[in-house]
Amino acid sequence: MHELYIAQCILDAAKRSLPDGMSSADVEQIRVEIGQLDAVVPDTLAFLFDAIKKEYGMPGAELSVTDVPVLCRCRQCEAQFTVELPIFLCPACASSNTEIVRGRGILLTGITVRDDEGEGNGNADHS
Amino acid sequence: MEMPIIRDVLEESNARAQENRAQFDRHGIFVVNIMSSPGSGKTTLLQKTIPLLQERSMKCAVIEGDITSTIDSERLLPLGIPVVQANTEPSGGDCHVGPHLVQAALTHFDLPSLDVLFIENIGNLVCPAEFYLGEDARVVVLSVTEGEDKPLKYPLMFRECRLCLLSKMDLVPHLEINIERLRRNIAQTNGRMEVIPVSAKTGDGLADWAAWLLARMKERVR
Repeated sequence: MHELYIAQCILDAAKRSLPDGMSSADVEQIRVEIGQLDAVVPDTLAFLFDAIKKEYGMPGAELSVTDVPVLCRCRQCEAQFTVELPIFLCPACASSNTEIVRGRGILLTGITVRDDEGEGNGNADHS
Repeated sequence: MEMPIIRDVLEESNARAQENRAQFDRHGIFVVNIMSSPGSGKTTLLQKTIPLLQERSMKCAVIEGDITSTIDSERLLPLGIPVVQANTEPSGGDCHVGPHLVQAALTHFDLPSLDVLFIENIGNLVCPAEFYLGEDARVVVLSVTEGEDKPLKYPLMFRECRLCLLSKMDLVPHLEINIERLRRNIAQTNGRMEVIPVSAKTGDGLADWAAWLLARMKERVR
């Protein structure tokens, strides 16, 4: 089970990505893309993310995960194809000499931070 | 407010691995990350492989990854080589060796004296494949008792490794495993995977495995 470590890495990466002056307490959503090949169990990741997000000062953060299918390129015939795991053979020429283009790795793709800054008080101008 | 970001979530982990890599380069150490299911014979293979490298005056060392216990490192002590047991239990019981753990283990070695470092990862065909440790080569050990389907069930592991050691080959006559089908399954997952059948019990294939290691070391020096 590597989901706990991955949840920690996601929260770390989100924290480091916050611009100066923005509070981690205001983070509402953290978006990640996870390659299908990484074999991350989404429910386990979500459970562990929720369990530890307070420790990272982001109690209100929700995790949004997009699965990324595995895309390969054939080194023989250059065809690009989506892999039906676990078969990595090129559907065009049947070569097994293929390289992964997408679908491996975990990317932080965005953060949503609550709009009202809290410091301005009043917020009278909000429509 | 929505902020788009593109950031590798494992960048910290990979940065640690790069620091390990820099240490290995500085001291000219060839590093092999050995991964497999529990019980496939990683430790036994090391017990039989390391003497073959010692015969060629290679100074070897091992980082023994386990969740808990020192059983495996004790098995290696008779080889008279430096062995560091790296357990994950104190830090939460991860089921893989991470680059931080390697970094901590490296402080226990006299690095300038080493030629080859084996990292025996924690028995698990899923998680260890995810994390780069700074190694030169990744090797998966698959014992013939595990069945032909494992490369298909654990594609990341078989995609990430460069060599598959088919272990416990001496048991094949007693099993119904079809080695050709197993090789086909490996090739379907990773067409560039090299396969060396070995038996730690009879010694078959061990010379090929040692030769493979020496060839990879030469490539690296070049």
